[in-house]
Amino acid sequence: MDGSLLPAIQEPPIKKIKPSTNMTINFYLNEVTSSKTPLKVVLNDDISESLPLIEVYTGHIQNPKDISKTVLLLNEKLPIKELQHLKRVKKQDIFLCPITYTNEMTIQEYLKSLDDSFADIFDSFAVIHVPKQPPKLKKQFEDTKEYWPCNFHPDKYLEKLFSDNFFTQEESNMHRKYMYIALLNAKWYVMNDASIHDVPNVTLVVDPIIASVVAVATDNRKKHPTQHSTMLAIDNVARTQNGGAWSPDCELDEETMIPNSLLQCLKAEMPEINFGHRKFKSNRVTDDNNSGTENNETSSLDSPYLCTGYYIYMLREPCVMCSMALVHARAKRIFFCVDNERDGGLKSKVKLQTVSSLNHRFEVFTGFL
Amino acid sequence: MIDFMRQALELAKSALNTNEVPVGCVFVRNGKIVAQSKNSVNETRNPTRHAEINCIDEVLNYCQDRNIEYRSFFEDIIVYVTVEPCIMCAAALKNLNIKEVIYGCANDRFGGHTVIDVGDIYPNSYSLTAHSHAQEAMDLLKQFYKGTNPHAPQEKVKKKKTKQDEEKL
Repeated sequence: MDGSLLPAIQEPPIKKIKPSTNMTINFYLNEVTSSKTPLKVVLNDDISESLPLIEVYTGHIQNPKDISKTVLLLNEKLPIKELQHLKRVKKQDIFLCPITYTNEMTIQEYLKSLDDSFADIFDSFAVIHVPKQPPKLKKQFEDTKEYWPCNFHPDKYLEKLFSDNFFTQEESNMHRKYMYIALLNAKWYVMNDASIHDVPNVTLVVDPIIASVVAVATDNRKKHPTQHSTMLAIDNVARTQNGGAWSPDCELDEETMIPNSLLQCLKAEMPEINFGHRKFKSNRVTDDNNSGTENNETSSLDSPYLCTGYYIYMLREPCVMCSMALVHARAKRIFFCVDNERDGGLKSKVKLQTVSSLNHRFEVFTGFL
Repeated sequence: MIDFMRQALELAKSALNTNEVPVGCVFVRNGKIVAQSKNSVNETRNPTRHAEINCIDEVLNYCQDRNIEYRSFFEDIIVYVTVEPCIMCAAALKNLNIKEVIYGCANDRFGGHTVIDVGDIYPNSYSLTAHSHAQEAMDLLKQFYKGTNPHAPQEKVKKKKTKQDEEKL
């Protein structure tokens, strides 16, 4: 654009043309329902991608009779804790150690420094590449065979998670339907709020046990810096449990905590969808009432606690703050359409679901478009 | 000089008295407290209501009442918090371009520096300093975790069916 030649007169800013935002949403609405691609789990890349390699020393054993005693000796004198997935023996070749272990010494000198009896066992040494990490999926395990024999403990659930049929067709359709509702929310907000120009993020909370929408929220960060849709949705869930911290800026339906006019619109558009939450009962009520019927106990155990057991549907990958908020809320599964490359906390910048020290972990799925 | 961390610890103590995770926080601007709060997760049944998030709301109200633009206001704020901000709070504070965070003890479970470094993700980085009252802040947490959280759900352990139960069926 040759903006330099434009006159310096400031024209009034052109309002972003809403029809394009609407077109984007309509495009998404169409894609979300018509796309046939299976939803994809988001986990650490090292689970699904080819394994990184590391250089190690191997030694060739002269006499096959020495193999077992050498392995015993190696396990005692030179255990390699970080590479326990590697078998020690491949025919007459023995895995010794990563090349970084020997420092300035040759491998012969290094072995001799550990134990004199290593001296006469090997007739030659080599440096080879081996997988640095244990294979997690069968496919990775197949790949390791090209390098060195590895131990492998197949994880049935993980295999299924990475297969294309983790969700049945029926489940898949259901997830796509909830994402469709999230998009309808976005559309409603764009139509009803003149200050929204881009597709706003929306968070939809679903209780899969009763197949019902528990809460929804859209982004309000222009007015309040921490009121992202996730934070508002979590507060709306709290409200269904007799809590909540923020006061709503419009009239909410008492049962669903969804703005009245939005709820009417959603119900009209999606008559087959349930809205509302399981009744919240505090634990203490039943604690005081231990003689209560079994029914009472069950309902106490099944009472919602934070977002435990809930599915979260979002148009855009949540930011780091919101991703951690979902950890605190103990959500069960998060589904999102579009990556958040700036500060996404579940795929783009960091994957909180893979941080082992956190006390709660959820599953994350994308691939709606 | 006022001991702002002392004030944060007092808030943490009062949180403990109401069965909340004992974390307290004060926001200071030009040597003056502009917000002070504590964890209110159990009270609100909202797991994001950490002391820092509550303080952010207080500052927003403070600014609204005085007709001050909050964005630049946050940039001069020093946060005193008894426990290192969690990943969520660290991201919120970075997004607001907070000037400085001074904390009591590290947060091994959720820390926005200790567990993962949120500073690697956001360009604006506040200076983060560990403070001398670490032991006191940690002791409060220990006191809390010694007891059980009365608001957590009962463990969903399947009770072994007794013979009598089976007969009933």
